[in-house]
Amino acid sequence: MCQTFCRVTLAIAGLIANSFVVQAAESSGKPIAQWNFGTEEFSALKSHGGVHRDLAGPRPPHFPDFDEHNTAVLFDGDGSYFSIADPGADSKFDFQNGDSITIEAWVDLHSIGSGQNAYVVCKGRTGNKKFSADNQNWAMRIREQGGNAHISFLFATAPGTSNESPWHRWTSKDGFKLQSGWHRIAVSYTFGDPESVRGWIDDRPQTGSWDMGGKTSEPPIVDDDAVWIGSSLGGSAGNSFRGMIDSVAIYRESLSDEQMAARYRLEGQTPPSDLPKPTLPTFALTGNAVAMTIREGLATHNRWPLATEMPPPVSVQFADLHWTSPYFFLPRMPHRFDDWGVRDSWKPPALVHLAADVEFPAGTLRLLVRNRGLGRLWIDDAVVLETPPHQGSTDGHNPVDPLPEQPLPGHRVVAYGDTETIGEVSFKTGGTHRVVLETIIGGDKFRVESGETLVAFWTDNDDSIELLQAAGSTMLKRRLVDSDIDSVSREAKRSLTLFDDAVRRQIASKHDDYWNERHEYARDVVQPQSGSSIDKFVADRLATVVNQPEAKAASDDDGFQREVLPILREHCWRCHDEDAEGGLQLTSLELASIGGDSGEPAIVPNSPETSHLVERIFATDTDERMPPSGKMTAEQAKRLVDWIKAGAEWTNRIDPERLVVAPIIDDTAFLRRLSLDTVGVPPSERELREFLASDNVNKRSEAIDRLLSDERYADHWVSFWQDALAENPNVLKPSLNNTGPFRWYLHDALRDNWAVDRMVTELLMFRGSERLGGAAGFAMAADNDAPLASRSLVAASSLLGINLQCARCHDSPYHSTKQEDLFSLAAMLSRGNVTVPPTSTVSPGFFESKGGRESLIKVTLLPGEPVQPQWPFADTTGIADGELVERWLRDSADSRERLACLVTSPHNQRFAAVIVNHFWKRLIGAGIVEPAADWEAATPSDAKLLEWLSAQFIENGYDAKHLLRLVFNSDLYQREAVGRNRDAPPDERFFASPDRRRLTAEQVVDSLYYASGREIEVEQLTFDPEARRPASTMISLGYPSRAWEFSTLSNERDRPSLALPRAQAVTDVLEAFGWTGSRQSPIIDREQAPGVLQSGMLANGVMSSWITRASIDSELADLAVNAASAGELLDSVYLRFLSRYPTTAEKNVFLKEIDSGFADRLLPSEQIVWPEPQMPLGHVSWSNHLKPEANVIQVQNQERARAGDPPDPRLRPTWREAYEDVVWAVVNSPEFVFVP
Amino acid sequence: MKPNSLNRRQFARHAVAATAISSLATTSLLATEATSAEATASAHRGNAEHVISIWLGGGMGQIDTFDPKRRGDPKAKKAGSYYDAIDTVVDGVQVCEHLPRLAEVMDRVTAVRTVNHDVIDEHAAATNRMHTGRAVNGTVSYPSLGSVIANQLGAVNENAPPYVLIGYPNVTRGPGFLGAANSYLYLTDTSQGPAGLSRPDGISLNRQRRREQFLQVTRAAAEQQQDGDAVLAQYDATINQMLSWSGPEFGRVFQLDVEPASLRDEYGGELGQRCLLARRLVQRGVRFIEVSHNLNFINGTGWDVHNDGIVNQHELIRELDIAMSVLIRDLEQQSLLDKTLIVVTTEFGRPPQFDGGGGRGHQGSAFSCVLAGGGLRHVGAYGETDELSQKVVADAVSVPDFFATIHASLGIDPNKYLYDGDRPVPITDGGQPISKLFA
Repeated sequence: MCQTFCRVTLAIAGLIANSFVVQAAESSGKPIAQWNFGTEEFSALKSHGGVHRDLAGPRPPHFPDFDEHNTAVLFDGDGSYFSIADPGADSKFDFQNGDSITIEAWVDLHSIGSGQNAYVVCKGRTGNKKFSADNQNWAMRIREQGGNAHISFLFATAPGTSNESPWHRWTSKDGFKLQSGWHRIAVSYTFGDPESVRGWIDDRPQTGSWDMGGKTSEPPIVDDDAVWIGSSLGGSAGNSFRGMIDSVAIYRESLSDEQMAARYRLEGQTPPSDLPKPTLPTFALTGNAVAMTIREGLATHNRWPLATEMPPPVSVQFADLHWTSPYFFLPRMPHRFDDWGVRDSWKPPALVHLAADVEFPAGTLRLLVRNRGLGRLWIDDAVVLETPPHQGSTDGHNPVDPLPEQPLPGHRVVAYGDTETIGEVSFKTGGTHRVVLETIIGGDKFRVESGETLVAFWTDNDDSIELLQAAGSTMLKRRLVDSDIDSVSREAKRSLTLFDDAVRRQIASKHDDYWNERHEYARDVVQPQSGSSIDKFVADRLATVVNQPEAKAASDDDGFQREVLPILREHCWRCHDEDAEGGLQLTSLELASIGGDSGEPAIVPNSPETSHLVERIFATDTDERMPPSGKMTAEQAKRLVDWIKAGAEWTNRIDPERLVVAPIIDDTAFLRRLSLDTVGVPPSERELREFLASDNVNKRSEAIDRLLSDERYADHWVSFWQDALAENPNVLKPSLNNTGPFRWYLHDALRDNWAVDRMVTELLMFRGSERLGGAAGFAMAADNDAPLASRSLVAASSLLGINLQCARCHDSPYHSTKQEDLFSLAAMLSRGNVTVPPTSTVSPGFFESKGGRESLIKVTLLPGEPVQPQWPFADTTGIADGELVERWLRDSADSRERLACLVTSPHNQRFAAVIVNHFWKRLIGAGIVEPAADWEAATPSDAKLLEWLSAQFIENGYDAKHLLRLVFNSDLYQREAVGRNRDAPPDERFFASPDRRRLTAEQVVDSLYYASGREIEVEQLTFDPEARRPASTMISLGYPSRAWEFSTLSNERDRPSLALPRAQAVTDVLEAFGWTGSRQSPIIDREQAPGVLQSGMLANGVMSSWITRASIDSELADLAVNAASAGELLDSVYLRFLSRYPTTAEKNVFLKEIDSGFADRLLPSEQIVWPEPQMPLGHVSWSNHLKPEANVIQVQNQERARAGDPPDPRLRPTWREAYEDVVWAVVNSPEFVFVP
Repeated sequence: MKPNSLNRRQFARHAVAATAISSLATTSLLATEATSAEATASAHRGNAEHVISIWLGGGMGQIDTFDPKRRGDPKAKKAGSYYDAIDTVVDGVQVCEHLPRLAEVMDRVTAVRTVNHDVIDEHAAATNRMHTGRAVNGTVSYPSLGSVIANQLGAVNENAPPYVLIGYPNVTRGPGFLGAANSYLYLTDTSQGPAGLSRPDGISLNRQRRREQFLQVTRAAAEQQQDGDAVLAQYDATINQMLSWSGPEFGRVFQLDVEPASLRDEYGGELGQRCLLARRLVQRGVRFIEVSHNLNFINGTGWDVHNDGIVNQHELIRELDIAMSVLIRDLEQQSLLDKTLIVVTTEFGRPPQFDGGGGRGHQGSAFSCVLAGGGLRHVGAYGETDELSQKVVADAVSVPDFFATIHASLGIDPNKYLYDGDRPVPITDGGQPISKLFA
């Protein structure tokens, strides 16, 4: 293209834009229109948006056909375009069947999104409302496929001409690379002849295919819509061209390969795109810390965004909060929160900057960057090091890579899934330089997980690598060795947690006014009640029993209940209850008067002399004396005699055990119980010693306050909600009834102590991230064709005590609930009508086969029948939809919010009571209402107590901790756990004493770890540690530090390579004690039955063997090494595991064992042999699990897990083993697994 | 989609829903409703006492094992068997050339060639189907076959657990609504006893004795502390059973080296050793043992022979051939074969066509599950598929039918109901035992 030629056509273009000139039909090789974007362009181009002119276009020497000053135009790509008005009928831009078109343009493509179609030039489809929508006469576009730019021709056929898609798209098989400089592209087509299509890139003809709509001989749609260059569809960003365009030409003929080749000349290599120089964001650096900014939702993960594409940092999130770190080190991404402060997820890919001013000496410095994806390290304005994009397939057939090498001996190897890049930089003089690590994390198919992102450098003498640190930082120098990095990582994670807390709380606080107002209103609704207490309700209730006229004793009924009955219970009823040892039952006066096999009455009222019982109690012959244990004290015996003498008034017929008001437990038991109920683990040795030593009269209530504000509170209580709300995530692709891991949301909510009504509202509103931990995870029920019905069932049962299980398929036979009720709730959640799927019904054939007998079940709702969003529980809950909730709705058209409001309203007589009852049940061992999740036929054992507790709860802003505090401070809670409420009928559930509770599975595991001073160290709970899969198919549940963080490891594939042997050792214990990681339905009553695997796991399980060993770096070993005496050591073990001192009997045996050899327990240092560290094994994940080697490695890991850590070599083995066996015996005591 | 097929499918779904819910009547009502099907079923009641269920994780290709057809050619993309077929001792019944030992005992075996279901996209879902025998349901967690049998029959010997899994623990092997008491004990390799019930590594017998002495001390203290606490006492009682099961006497069951070396050799690799252990567990009184064949070491993919996973498939087949044939003969020798039903199941089968990498995809329309021993009247092979083993031609056996056959062989009424709380759940999803196998 010579300069003259260009000028000429330019002139023509200017003319023909306004007036139509008929061109010769024969092959002239000349365009009917051409736009060259010269400096003096005067064609009727109208620019819109970010269009930048007069930039250098293709020029000599590379492109000798262009003028040396040739200019082109840059499109920002955010809807920027040129438009050329269509002259109307008979426009030269109109192409009909039989017409040939060739479209040609020079492009320098800077960026394009994955799968995006960027318009170069087109006619129609501009979005102008005067024309029909799909009016594409013709278009040449660039289509992104597999990272390359393909050329694509597109037109639409007129509507009504065919039943098939109006769209017809041809795309070239090959493409060119982005940012690879100027390319000439062209397509040619004769309308009506689908075989005529041709395309060119540079001088090369292209093959391609009709890939959308297929071929057609139908004519294209033609109207008077405009010609656009650079965009379409009203200027949609997703269809806009980003980069430079020059020399766009339209021909009304098909050009030949020869003609096209002649129009492209290149000397040498195409120079790459001359992109605007990347710029770095500015940072407000404090001078002694590394600052971080995050951007999200980049176009793609495999190239840098252009300045024009750069999203703003997510500053709204952080308000004025900034996370900083002394080091260039990021162990995980901070969390994203939505504008309610609910856990959300970063929109991938994210762009992270870590920036600081760093002091460097003069000379050459070796630098190392570890990260997950595309990255570059800037020093001042220069990029000194670049890292490749995140990549890799996950089909399971990848090789097991050789282990990464240590960058220096003894230094930490790069983490699995991260890359390591090393570079050098020289400084002429020493001084402060701006260092910025820029890294893209996550992508369309990758989760936004940072791996272990860091920058480090070789120290002066090259024998050590240190983390890069901000200038002026006073923090320790940290080497790139495991011990240092582990502690930096711990500190950074801790600081990120605090940062997340601050961000979340700041965002959420914007909604505090709303909730304060609601809670104030709620207070008015319930009308504060004062002057009562749990113990008063319990006492009043007990009084009604002991004051029944027929039961009332003449003199001291209270004495019988409080004093005599416990003696009988303690010493007599173990044999003389229903077991009727010797034919004798002593559970009523009647039975006692009859006597046993001897025929003599055991009790004769007013006559202790003739009462056989008295005779036996005072028998001197030990074979005769009762009780056989001989443990009845003289006072107790005397009390019995006095009672008989006074007439043996037996004051009621109620099972007296239910009425036993047990003594208050002692301080050790109290603190253990309280600690387990608040933070899920026993008190530490120190806490316990201090508590016992304190003579503060308020020490119990102070301990209650202290433990309620302990942040481990969330770690304990989250389990309850996980069960109740059927939180059921899976690290594999979600399957039946899997939910999102909304555990993280729950944990946040408990950490911040959200009011329960607020938390439930956020859950029912499905806020935040669905797959990565937000409340929206509650909405999911994978593989379920009515997921919202499934979740409605969960919510109704756990939050309202309404059982809808049967209502999924038919009206409930044993409840009043109907199928429509369930689906009405589902409709409210779904914000519109829902229909019952055909699988959720009973076929009519079922009823026919019943032969006329009326079936117990009824189907009143047919599949396919639309069900409207409607509140079905006005009667059950006492709140009807209407004005009571209206004023609290932020969007009254939103049925989901309406539902949340109806559920959590103070007018709802179920919600608060159901929650209160759950908490009560968990602390006292039985509910006031049982079953706690199905209230339809249930009677509260004490309606007044329940009402009072509910009112207390509501009055105090639905604050769970207030409720807990009330219970913890009651005498009832602090009594010995001899209650028998759990199995009692409601009218005999007196709550005179709390019931015995076994530790929950989580408490068992957490307590073992805590008491032994260990941290949970298991594999990351994921099959994709490299984050190569999107959250829709695989997630990571992270490295658990508490038991609630585990999930099912079941993957149903039976492949050793998919085993997580260390995590399995823990879930084995959890499962044995009634935990399940797959919560298909809400769980309120876990299985409590004792089973052989429970004691088995504690005695022989792999986890237990870790816990009970004095292994290297364990607290148990340190305790033994540092103990001053065997007695002190034994005390420590007992205080840690059982929260008490050893008994005399225990001391007698165990002290002997560990005292012998105690003085000699430490090996002389020259005899200590520290074991060699184990050779690391290859990395296995989903990506390579189908390789035989991966299986071998995981089996080795399993063996290592089973073997556990080696014992501490400082301790003499014989003594150590005796010590470990004592610990083992303490752990295996039944006492350990029960709440005292 | 043609309207007819839609209707049929809907009808089928309704039928499933109907059976899943079926009558909510009480047991007595059910008794009056006894159908003729039940009467027939009661005639099909066997006396087997144990089940050894071999699970071939990944999906065993029936056309390359128990339902051989004409040879195909992966290179030429010609559909068909990967191997030649050989005759067996049963007239007219052939198996693949890598099953020569089973061929000799096929008169004690029935390859049920017409099992079929529709869950082939996902291994986990298919594994669930083949362990619970039914389609998933959003509101019921169904128990596994092993748990149902444990629940119905308990252990044969009260000093043995009812259900042992030799393989990785998974939800589909679990008890579902039947509860933890009907779950399994598991072990992942034959050198160890079950998790939680075998002496930990590195604890000598002497140390174990000392531990038990020490434990008596803390147990006594616990009893004293919580005098008379029934809940604590119940837990304490489990310790006795635990000590017994993890003690040397019960532990002997897991010591395969007490078996003659020649027999151990005969059983072959890890699958064989698992089968040998299963036999020992049967002798001990365990009711149901699942033996998982999770040996991905051989070809990486196990039975899931996509792409080049198929190249070494014959090694898996041979291992199965050796282990199962020796198990049959060994049980016979111990007079246990009639009392012990051997079951071989898998997620699904595989099509006769080859994939791009020369391996095979998944097929649910027809595949083989195998029964042996258990006192059944074996016929070598049951059911007929088309010329490429893609479609059932005669005697289709649904998954519920297959489960019903197993229940019936153990004398369990395949029409009875289990209860998930108030909700009656038929023990199989309307399955009928294969009549021909009952004498």
